[in-house]
Amino acid sequence: MTRYKVDAVLIDEETLDLQELASACAVPSTWIVERVEAGLLACDSSGGEMRFASAHLVRARRMATTERRFDANQEIAALVADLIEEVEQLRRQVHAAVRPRD
Amino acid sequence: MEFKEYYKTLGVEPTASADDIKKAYRKLARKYHPDVSKEADASSRMAEVNEAYAVLSDPEKRAAFDKLAQRRSSGEDFAPPPGWDAGFGFGDAGSPVGDDGDYSDFFNTLFGRAARARQSGGARAQMRGTDQHAKISINLADAYHGATRSLALRETRLDESSNVVNAERVLEVRIPRGVKAGQSIRLRGQGSPGFNGGTAGDLYMEVEFEPDARYRVEGRDVTQSVPVAPWEAALGATIEVPTPAGRVEVKVPDGSNNGRKLRLKGRGIPGEPPGDLYLELELATPPAKDDKAREVYQTMAREFSSFNPREPMGAQP
Repeated sequence: MTRYKVDAVLIDEETLDLQELASACAVPSTWIVERVEAGLLACDSSGGEMRFASAHLVRARRMATTERRFDANQEIAALVADLIEEVEQLRRQVHAAVRPRD
Repeated sequence: MEFKEYYKTLGVEPTASADDIKKAYRKLARKYHPDVSKEADASSRMAEVNEAYAVLSDPEKRAAFDKLAQRRSSGEDFAPPPGWDAGFGFGDAGSPVGDDGDYSDFFNTLFGRAARARQSGGARAQMRGTDQHAKISINLADAYHGATRSLALRETRLDESSNVVNAERVLEVRIPRGVKAGQSIRLRGQGSPGFNGGTAGDLYMEVEFEPDARYRVEGRDVTQSVPVAPWEAALGATIEVPTPAGRVEVKVPDGSNNGRKLRLKGRGIPGEPPGDLYLELELATPPAKDDKAREVYQTMAREFSSFNPREPMGAQP
Protein backbone atom coordinates (compact mmCIF):
# COMPACT_ATOMS: atom_id res chain seq x y z
CA MET A 1 0.00 0.00 0.00
CA THR A 2 1.34 3.40 -0.95
CA ARG A 3 1.36 6.26 1.56
CA TYR A 4 1.48 9.92 0.57
CA LYS A 5 1.78 13.07 2.65
CA VAL A 6 -0.32 15.93 1.37
CA ASP A 7 -1.24 19.41 2.55
CA ALA A 8 -4.91 20.30 2.56
CA VAL A 9 -5.93 23.76 1.36
CA LEU A 10 -8.94 25.52 2.83
CA ILE A 11 -11.21 26.44 -0.05
CA ASP A 12 -12.22 29.68 1.62
CA GLU A 13 -8.59 30.80 1.51
CA GLU A 14 -8.15 29.67 -2.09
CA THR A 15 -11.58 29.88 -3.70
CA LEU A 16 -12.64 27.92 -6.77
CA ASP A 17 -13.09 29.40 -10.23
CA LEU A 18 -16.05 28.56 -12.45
CA GLN A 19 -14.41 25.60 -14.18
CA GLU A 20 -13.17 24.13 -10.91
CA LEU A 21 -16.62 24.32 -9.33
CA ALA A 22 -18.22 22.78 -12.42
CA SER A 23 -15.72 19.93 -12.32
CA ALA A 24 -16.26 19.39 -8.59
CA CYS A 25 -20.01 19.14 -9.17
CA ALA A 26 -19.68 17.06 -12.38
CA VAL A 27 -21.74 19.59 -14.34
CA PRO A 28 -20.99 21.83 -17.35
CA SER A 29 -19.92 25.37 -16.46
CA THR A 30 -23.09 26.67 -18.18
CA TRP A 31 -25.08 24.83 -15.48
CA ILE A 32 -23.36 26.96 -12.84
CA VAL A 33 -23.73 30.23 -14.76
CA GLU A 34 -27.46 29.66 -15.33
CA ARG A 35 -28.08 29.17 -11.63
CA VAL A 36 -25.97 32.14 -10.60
CA GLU A 37 -27.82 34.37 -13.09
CA ALA A 38 -31.16 33.02 -11.84
CA GLY A 39 -30.17 33.96 -8.27
CA LEU A 40 -30.26 30.36 -7.07
CA LEU A 41 -26.55 30.10 -6.35
CA ALA A 42 -24.35 32.87 -4.94
CA CYS A 43 -20.74 33.63 -5.78
CA ASP A 44 -18.13 36.28 -5.13
CA SER A 45 -17.71 38.39 -8.26
CA SER A 46 -15.94 41.34 -6.64
CA GLY A 47 -12.73 40.62 -8.54
CA GLY A 48 -14.45 40.60 -11.94
CA GLU A 49 -14.76 36.82 -12.23
CA MET A 50 -16.92 34.33 -10.39
CA ARG A 51 -15.22 32.77 -7.36
CA PHE A 52 -16.78 30.16 -5.13
CA ALA A 53 -16.19 29.31 -1.46
CA SER A 54 -16.98 26.22 0.63
CA ALA A 55 -20.65 27.10 1.19
CA HIS A 56 -21.16 27.61 -2.56
CA LEU A 57 -19.56 24.24 -3.32
CA VAL A 58 -21.76 22.40 -0.83
CA ARG A 59 -24.92 24.14 -2.10
CA ALA A 60 -24.09 23.58 -5.78
CA ARG A 61 -23.47 19.88 -5.16
CA ARG A 62 -26.74 19.54 -3.27
CA MET A 63 -28.64 21.23 -6.08
CA ALA A 64 -26.96 19.14 -8.78
CA THR A 65 -27.62 15.92 -6.86
CA THR A 66 -31.30 16.77 -6.30
CA GLU A 67 -31.79 17.63 -9.96
CA ARG A 68 -30.21 14.36 -11.08
CA ARG A 69 -31.76 12.01 -8.56
CA PHE A 70 -35.30 13.29 -8.80
CA ASP A 71 -35.37 14.94 -12.22
CA ALA A 72 -36.13 18.14 -10.28
CA ASN A 73 -36.10 21.53 -11.96
CA GLN A 74 -33.56 24.05 -10.76
CA GLU A 75 -36.01 26.07 -8.64
CA ILE A 76 -37.16 22.98 -6.72
CA ALA A 77 -33.55 21.88 -6.24
CA ALA A 78 -32.69 25.34 -4.88
CA LEU A 79 -35.69 25.17 -2.54
CA VAL A 80 -34.49 21.79 -1.24
CA ALA A 81 -31.03 23.28 -0.67
CA ASP A 82 -32.62 26.24 1.18
CA LEU A 83 -34.54 23.88 3.44
CA ILE A 84 -31.51 21.70 4.20
CA GLU A 85 -29.49 24.81 5.08
CA GLU A 86 -32.34 25.94 7.37
CA VAL A 87 -32.45 22.52 9.05
CA GLU A 88 -28.68 22.64 9.61
CA GLN A 89 -28.96 26.12 11.15
CA LEU A 90 -31.79 25.04 13.45
CA ARG A 91 -29.89 21.92 14.51
CA ARG A 92 -26.92 24.09 15.46
CA GLN A 93 -29.20 26.41 17.45
CA VAL A 94 -30.81 23.48 19.26
CA HIS A 95 -27.39 22.07 20.09
CA ALA A 96 -26.23 25.47 21.36
CA ALA A 97 -29.37 25.92 23.47
CA VAL A 98 -29.14 22.53 25.15
CA ARG A 99 -26.54 22.80 27.89
CA PRO A 100 -24.58 19.62 28.43
CA ARG A 101 -25.27 17.65 31.59
CA ASP A 102 -23.23 14.95 33.24
CA MET B 1 -14.14 -9.50 -5.53
CA GLU B 2 -17.70 -9.58 -4.25
CA PHE B 3 -20.48 -9.81 -6.82
CA LYS B 4 -23.04 -7.04 -6.30
CA GLU B 5 -26.71 -7.96 -6.32
CA TYR B 6 -27.96 -4.72 -7.80
CA TYR B 7 -31.60 -5.80 -8.15
CA LYS B 8 -31.74 -6.74 -4.47
CA THR B 9 -30.13 -3.43 -3.52
CA LEU B 10 -32.98 -1.55 -5.19
CA GLY B 11 -35.57 -4.10 -4.04
CA VAL B 12 -36.82 -4.93 -7.56
CA GLU B 13 -37.09 -8.09 -9.64
CA PRO B 14 -34.70 -8.66 -12.55
CA THR B 15 -37.74 -8.30 -14.80
CA ALA B 16 -38.53 -4.80 -13.48
CA SER B 17 -39.26 -2.12 -16.04
CA ALA B 18 -37.09 0.97 -16.36
CA ASP B 19 -39.92 2.96 -14.78
CA ASP B 20 -40.12 0.61 -11.78
CA ILE B 21 -36.35 0.85 -11.31
CA LYS B 22 -36.53 4.63 -11.34
CA LYS B 23 -39.38 4.64 -8.80
CA ALA B 24 -37.54 2.24 -6.50
CA TYR B 25 -34.38 4.35 -6.76
CA ARG B 26 -36.16 7.60 -5.90
CA LYS B 27 -37.89 6.04 -2.92
CA LEU B 28 -34.55 4.84 -1.53
CA ALA B 29 -32.81 8.11 -2.44
CA ARG B 30 -35.30 9.90 -0.17
CA LYS B 31 -34.95 7.31 2.58
CA TYR B 32 -31.15 7.45 2.69
CA HIS B 33 -30.62 11.12 1.81
CA PRO B 34 -27.52 11.91 3.90
CA ASP B 35 -28.76 15.36 4.93
CA VAL B 36 -32.05 14.20 6.40
CA SER B 37 -31.92 10.45 7.01
CA LYS B 38 -31.95 9.19 10.60
CA GLU B 39 -30.47 5.84 9.52
CA ALA B 40 -27.01 5.27 11.03
CA ASP B 41 -25.54 3.95 7.78
CA ALA B 42 -27.35 6.35 5.45
CA SER B 43 -24.25 7.44 3.54
CA SER B 44 -23.01 3.94 2.76
CA ARG B 45 -26.53 2.75 1.86
CA MET B 46 -26.96 5.76 -0.43
CA ALA B 47 -23.68 4.91 -2.14
CA GLU B 48 -24.88 1.32 -2.72
CA VAL B 49 -28.20 2.54 -4.08
CA ASN B 50 -26.47 5.04 -6.38
CA GLU B 51 -24.17 2.34 -7.69
CA ALA B 52 -27.02 -0.06 -8.38
CA TYR B 53 -28.99 2.64 -10.17
CA ALA B 54 -25.97 3.73 -12.21
CA VAL B 55 -25.91 0.22 -13.69
CA LEU B 56 -29.59 -0.68 -13.89
CA SER B 57 -30.72 2.66 -15.33
CA ASP B 58 -28.34 2.34 -18.28
CA PRO B 59 -29.68 -0.20 -20.84
CA GLU B 60 -26.19 -1.24 -22.02
CA LYS B 61 -24.77 -1.65 -18.52
CA ARG B 62 -27.90 -3.44 -17.35
CA ALA B 63 -27.76 -5.89 -20.26
CA ALA B 64 -24.08 -6.60 -19.62
CA PHE B 65 -24.74 -7.02 -15.90
CA ASP B 66 -27.65 -9.42 -16.60
CA LYS B 67 -25.40 -11.49 -18.83
CA LEU B 68 -22.76 -11.68 -16.12
CA ALA B 69 -25.32 -12.58 -13.46
CA GLN B 70 -26.63 -15.48 -15.55
CA ARG B 71 -23.16 -16.94 -16.05
CA ARG B 72 -22.15 -16.58 -12.44
CA SER B 73 -22.05 -19.51 -10.03
CA SER B 74 -23.41 -18.35 -6.72
CA GLY B 75 -21.21 -18.36 -3.64
CA GLU B 76 -17.85 -18.15 -5.37
CA ASP B 77 -15.53 -15.21 -5.52
CA PHE B 78 -16.26 -13.20 -8.61
CA ALA B 79 -13.90 -12.31 -11.43
CA PRO B 80 -15.22 -11.12 -14.80
CA PRO B 81 -14.59 -13.70 -17.53
CA PRO B 82 -12.54 -12.55 -20.55
CA GLY B 83 -14.63 -10.78 -23.15
CA TRP B 84 -17.65 -10.50 -20.83
CA ASP B 85 -18.43 -7.05 -22.22
CA ALA B 86 -18.05 -7.89 -25.92
CA GLY B 87 -20.90 -6.36 -27.88
CA PHE B 88 -21.74 -3.72 -25.29
CA GLY B 89 -20.76 -0.07 -25.46
CA PHE B 90 -21.03 1.83 -22.23
CA GLY B 91 -19.79 5.16 -23.58
CA ASP B 92 -18.58 7.92 -21.34
CA ALA B 93 -21.81 9.71 -20.65
CA GLY B 94 -21.11 9.76 -16.95
CA SER B 95 -23.28 8.52 -14.15
CA PRO B 96 -26.96 9.42 -13.94
CA VAL B 97 -26.45 9.98 -10.26
CA GLY B 98 -23.57 12.34 -10.77
CA ASP B 99 -20.40 12.58 -8.80
CA ASP B 100 -21.44 10.60 -5.77
CA GLY B 101 -19.37 7.77 -7.09
CA ASP B 102 -17.99 6.09 -4.04
CA TYR B 103 -18.27 2.92 -6.04
CA SER B 104 -17.19 -0.61 -5.21
CA ASP B 105 -14.30 -2.45 -6.81
CA PHE B 106 -16.95 -4.56 -8.58
CA PHE B 107 -18.42 -1.47 -10.27
CA ASN B 108 -15.08 0.15 -11.02
CA THR B 109 -13.68 -3.03 -12.56
CA LEU B 110 -16.69 -3.52 -14.81
CA PHE B 111 -18.07 -0.08 -15.52
CA GLY B 112 -15.67 2.56 -14.18
CA ARG B 113 -13.65 4.96 -16.25
CA ALA B 114 -10.67 2.63 -16.36
CA ALA B 115 -12.93 -0.12 -17.66
CA ARG B 116 -14.30 2.15 -20.36
CA ALA B 117 -10.80 3.20 -21.37
CA ARG B 118 -9.85 -0.47 -21.62
CA GLN B 119 -13.00 -1.29 -23.59
CA SER B 120 -12.19 1.38 -26.15
CA GLY B 121 -8.78 -0.19 -26.65
CA GLY B 122 -7.02 2.20 -24.33
CA ALA B 123 -8.72 5.36 -25.55
CA ARG B 124 -6.38 7.73 -27.31
CA ALA B 125 -7.82 10.93 -25.89
CA GLN B 126 -6.47 12.31 -22.66
CA MET B 127 -8.98 12.14 -19.85
CA ARG B 128 -8.73 14.13 -16.66
CA GLY B 129 -9.62 12.09 -13.60
CA THR B 130 -12.88 12.93 -11.89
CA ASP B 131 -13.03 14.95 -8.70
CA GLN B 132 -13.94 12.97 -5.61
CA HIS B 133 -15.67 13.98 -2.41
CA ALA B 134 -15.47 12.72 1.15
CA LYS B 135 -16.15 13.87 4.69
CA ILE B 136 -13.51 14.09 7.36
CA SER B 137 -14.11 14.30 11.11
CA ILE B 138 -11.81 16.29 13.35
CA ASN B 139 -12.09 17.43 16.94
CA LEU B 140 -12.07 20.98 18.19
CA ALA B 141 -8.44 20.85 19.29
CA ASP B 142 -7.51 19.95 15.70
CA ALA B 143 -9.24 23.13 14.51
CA TYR B 144 -7.17 25.17 16.99
CA HIS B 145 -3.82 23.56 16.31
CA GLY B 146 -4.07 21.77 12.95
CA ALA B 147 -3.84 17.99 12.64
CA THR B 148 -2.78 15.10 10.48
CA ARG B 149 -5.32 12.45 9.53
CA SER B 150 -4.87 9.20 7.61
CA LEU B 151 -7.31 8.60 4.80
CA ALA B 152 -7.49 5.30 2.88
CA LEU B 153 -8.67 5.68 -0.71
CA ARG B 154 -9.43 3.06 -3.34
CA GLU B 155 -8.48 3.76 -6.90
CA THR B 156 -9.00 1.94 -10.17
CA ARG B 157 -6.56 2.28 -13.05
CA LEU B 158 -5.18 0.45 -16.06
CA ASP B 159 -1.91 -1.40 -15.74
CA GLU B 160 0.65 -1.64 -18.55
CA SER B 161 -1.31 -4.50 -20.14
CA SER B 162 -4.54 -2.47 -20.06
CA ASN B 163 -5.99 -4.60 -17.30
CA VAL B 164 -8.19 -2.87 -14.77
CA VAL B 165 -6.55 -3.00 -11.35
CA ASN B 166 -7.87 -1.85 -8.00
CA ALA B 167 -5.40 -0.48 -5.49
CA GLU B 168 -5.50 1.30 -2.19
CA ARG B 169 -3.44 4.27 -1.16
CA VAL B 170 -3.25 6.07 2.14
CA LEU B 171 -3.03 9.81 2.38
CA GLU B 172 -1.51 11.50 5.41
CA VAL B 173 -3.50 14.71 5.23
CA ARG B 174 -2.18 17.76 7.02
CA ILE B 175 -5.22 19.83 7.97
CA PRO B 176 -4.51 23.50 8.55
CA ARG B 177 -5.43 25.23 11.81
CA GLY B 178 -8.46 27.46 11.72
CA VAL B 179 -10.78 25.12 9.85
CA LYS B 180 -14.49 25.42 10.64
CA ALA B 181 -17.22 22.80 10.56
CA GLY B 182 -18.86 22.74 7.13
CA GLN B 183 -15.81 24.13 5.36
CA SER B 184 -14.30 22.18 2.52
CA ILE B 185 -10.64 21.48 2.02
CA ARG B 186 -9.06 20.54 -1.26
CA LEU B 187 -6.30 18.10 -2.10
CA ARG B 188 -5.10 18.83 -5.60
CA GLY B 189 -4.44 15.80 -7.77
CA GLN B 190 -5.71 13.29 -5.17
CA GLY B 191 -9.00 12.43 -6.91
CA SER B 192 -9.40 9.74 -9.56
CA PRO B 193 -6.35 9.15 -11.76
CA GLY B 194 -6.41 10.48 -15.33
CA PHE B 195 -5.90 8.36 -18.44
CA ASN B 196 -3.44 8.67 -21.32
CA GLY B 197 -1.51 11.40 -19.59
CA GLY B 198 -4.55 13.27 -18.33
CA THR B 199 -4.17 14.89 -14.93
CA ALA B 200 -5.71 13.37 -11.83
CA GLY B 201 -8.86 14.92 -10.39
CA ASP B 202 -8.97 16.68 -7.04
CA LEU B 203 -10.22 15.37 -3.72
CA TYR B 204 -12.58 17.58 -1.75
CA MET B 205 -13.29 16.90 1.89
CA GLU B 206 -16.05 18.50 3.90
CA VAL B 207 -15.00 18.99 7.50
CA GLU B 208 -17.25 18.02 10.37
CA PHE B 209 -16.48 18.18 14.08
CA GLU B 210 -16.71 15.10 16.27
CA PRO B 211 -19.47 15.58 18.83
CA ASP B 212 -18.12 16.90 22.13
CA ALA B 213 -20.57 17.68 24.93
CA ARG B 214 -18.09 20.14 26.47
CA TYR B 215 -18.27 22.64 23.63
CA ARG B 216 -20.79 24.36 21.41
CA VAL B 217 -19.38 25.81 18.21
CA GLU B 218 -20.96 28.43 15.97
CA GLY B 219 -18.69 29.47 13.13
CA ARG B 220 -15.40 30.31 14.85
CA ASP B 221 -17.03 31.13 18.21
CA VAL B 222 -16.79 28.47 20.89
CA THR B 223 -18.86 28.23 24.08
CA GLN B 224 -17.67 26.13 26.99
CA SER B 225 -19.32 25.50 30.36
CA VAL B 226 -17.13 26.21 33.40
CA PRO B 227 -18.13 24.94 36.85
CA VAL B 228 -17.56 27.46 39.65
CA ALA B 229 -18.07 27.20 43.40
CA PRO B 230 -20.81 29.41 44.94
CA TRP B 231 -18.23 31.52 46.80
CA GLU B 232 -16.22 32.05 43.60
CA ALA B 233 -19.36 33.34 41.87
CA ALA B 234 -20.51 35.43 44.84
CA LEU B 235 -17.18 36.92 45.91
CA GLY B 236 -15.28 36.86 42.64
CA ALA B 237 -12.15 34.83 41.98
CA THR B 238 -9.35 34.19 39.55
CA ILE B 239 -9.66 30.64 38.26
CA GLU B 240 -7.64 28.45 35.89
CA VAL B 241 -9.63 26.88 33.08
CA PRO B 242 -8.46 24.26 30.56
CA THR B 243 -9.76 25.37 27.13
CA PRO B 244 -9.12 24.22 23.56
CA ALA B 245 -6.75 27.22 23.33
CA GLY B 246 -4.77 25.96 26.34
CA ARG B 247 -5.01 26.76 30.04
CA VAL B 248 -6.14 30.30 30.74
CA GLU B 249 -6.52 32.31 33.94
CA VAL B 250 -9.88 34.03 34.09
CA LYS B 251 -11.23 36.58 36.53
CA VAL B 252 -14.76 35.75 37.62
CA PRO B 253 -16.49 39.03 38.62
CA ASP B 254 -18.12 39.12 42.03
CA GLY B 255 -21.89 38.78 42.04
CA SER B 256 -21.88 36.37 39.07
CA ASN B 257 -24.87 34.13 38.61
CA ASN B 258 -25.34 30.72 37.03
CA GLY B 259 -25.25 31.02 33.22
CA ARG B 260 -23.21 34.23 33.09
CA LYS B 261 -20.98 34.29 30.01
CA LEU B 262 -17.42 35.57 30.09
CA ARG B 263 -16.00 36.47 26.69
CA LEU B 264 -12.36 35.80 25.85
CA LYS B 265 -11.82 37.80 22.70
CA GLY B 266 -9.87 36.07 19.96
CA ARG B 267 -9.61 32.77 21.88
CA GLY B 268 -12.07 30.97 19.60
CA ILE B 269 -11.03 29.04 16.50
CA PRO B 270 -8.04 30.82 14.87
CA GLY B 271 -8.61 32.70 11.63
CA GLU B 272 -8.88 36.14 10.11
CA PRO B 273 -10.52 37.28 12.28
CA PRO B 274 -10.31 34.64 15.02
CA GLY B 275 -13.46 33.64 16.87
CA ASP B 276 -14.21 34.32 20.51
CA LEU B 277 -14.32 31.86 23.39
CA TYR B 278 -17.27 32.15 25.75
CA LEU B 279 -17.04 30.62 29.21
CA GLU B 280 -20.49 29.97 30.61
CA LEU B 281 -20.47 29.81 34.41
CA GLU B 282 -22.19 26.84 35.96
CA LEU B 283 -22.62 26.84 39.73
CA ALA B 284 -21.42 23.62 41.34
CA THR B 285 -22.32 23.00 44.98
CA PRO B 286 -20.22 20.82 47.30
CA PRO B 287 -22.10 17.70 48.48
CA ALA B 288 -23.51 17.75 52.04
CA LYS B 289 -22.08 14.32 52.76
CA ASP B 290 -20.94 14.76 56.38
CA ASP B 291 -22.05 16.61 59.52
CA LYS B 292 -19.60 19.46 59.02
CA ALA B 293 -20.79 20.14 55.47
CA ARG B 294 -24.43 19.92 56.54
CA GLU B 295 -23.73 22.40 59.33
CA VAL B 296 -22.32 24.90 56.86
CA TYR B 297 -25.45 24.61 54.70
CA GLN B 298 -27.67 24.96 57.78
CA THR B 299 -25.79 28.12 58.74
CA MET B 300 -26.31 29.48 55.23
CA ALA B 301 -30.00 28.66 55.41
CA ARG B 302 -30.30 30.67 58.63
CA GLU B 303 -28.21 33.58 57.42
CA PHE B 304 -30.00 33.81 54.07
CA SER B 305 -33.48 33.10 55.35
CA SER B 306 -34.98 35.91 53.26
CA PHE B 307 -33.44 34.58 50.06
CA ASN B 308 -35.86 32.66 47.85
CA PRO B 309 -34.36 31.62 44.49
CA ARG B 310 -37.91 31.03 43.14
CA GLU B 311 -39.08 34.55 43.86
CA PRO B 312 -38.61 35.63 40.20
CA MET B 313 -41.08 32.86 39.32
CA GLY B 314 -43.73 34.40 41.55
CA ALA B 315 -43.17 32.22 44.62
CA GLN B 316 -43.96 33.80 48.00
CA PRO B 317 -41.09 34.46 50.42
